[in-house]
Amino acid sequence: MTNLEKYMNVFVNSFGVKIEEVKTLKYQNIKAWDSVGHMGLVAKIEEVFDIMLETEDIIDLNSFEKGKEILSDKYGVDFSK
Amino acid sequence: MLKGKNAIITGTNRGIGKALLEEFAANGANIWAHSRKETSEFNKLTQDLSVKYGVKITPVYFDLTDYNEMKNAVMRISKEKQHIDCLVNNAGIMDGALFSMTSQDMVRKEFEVNFFSVFFLTQYVTKFMLRQQSGSIVNISSYIALKGIEGKSAYSASKAALIAMTKTISNELGSKGIRANCIAPGIVNTDLLKDVSEAEIAKAKNSSALKRMAQPVEIAKVAAYLASDNSSFITGQTISVDGGM
Repeated sequence: MTNLEKYMNVFVNSFGVKIEEVKTLKYQNIKAWDSVGHMGLVAKIEEVFDIMLETEDIIDLNSFEKGKEILSDKYGVDFSK
Repeated sequence: MLKGKNAIITGTNRGIGKALLEEFAANGANIWAHSRKETSEFNKLTQDLSVKYGVKITPVYFDLTDYNEMKNAVMRISKEKQHIDCLVNNAGIMDGALFSMTSQDMVRKEFEVNFFSVFFLTQYVTKFMLRQQSGSIVNISSYIALKGIEGKSAYSASKAALIAMTKTISNELGSKGIRANCIAPGIVNTDLLKDVSEAEIAKAKNSSALKRMAQPVEIAKVAAYLASDNSSFITGQTISVDGGM
């Protein structure tokens, strides 16, 4: 499974959405992505990519796309692999 | 009481922390034993206790005020792929000065070690407890946070912040199977007392029903209980272990 697939699956599993819906997801744009859902998402991301997100990044991770940017820029996740 | 449990304990090289190390080991816990600096004496202590009680004790060295070191240490622990069942936030410092003579540096230092380090270490460790949906956090506060004594305004405030934080996280994390409790020890026979006047020590002893100081092991036994499943319905509490003050 590629890193992008892993990342997309985290959103599918966290929020019960379809894979084709994940790219447009934003914090509090869907009911499941509230603050509690956010912590569950973060926990899964950390587990899947074996990283520990800094609190500032947890706060900044407010969309699917932003999350990709943070993971790529700061945590060395290569989404081309 | 703690057989099969894995615990992180901070400040285990002396005082209450050293007693925690032995008490948790005696009860069967495997321990990641934190100390700020590596010494041959501490290495020997962990090895001797490991052999004596047949448990795994791994020394972990980092400065609690260095969050990069802290994060790296927790990551190293997590890579062992073991449950982290308990976190005992014991390490702390105690300075003293009358309120009007308490410098900004002293206040910052007390809060940095006694509160901020606990806050952020607990944040890191609870990431793993949340995955497990289980865990027990035990924070060592102080009777001084509840009663206040002259010359300890910064210390008492930093320890009181622990109590408030503990209560809050017990509410936030309870539904995820994580408990958080504080212990507020009274006067304990450790070298922290060097900063407490003889008069204050005597006053504290006399104000307690038991009219004496605690030994570190008496605090450690309560921490072991709170870490164990024997206290499975206790959370959000501050247990005063102060001889009846």
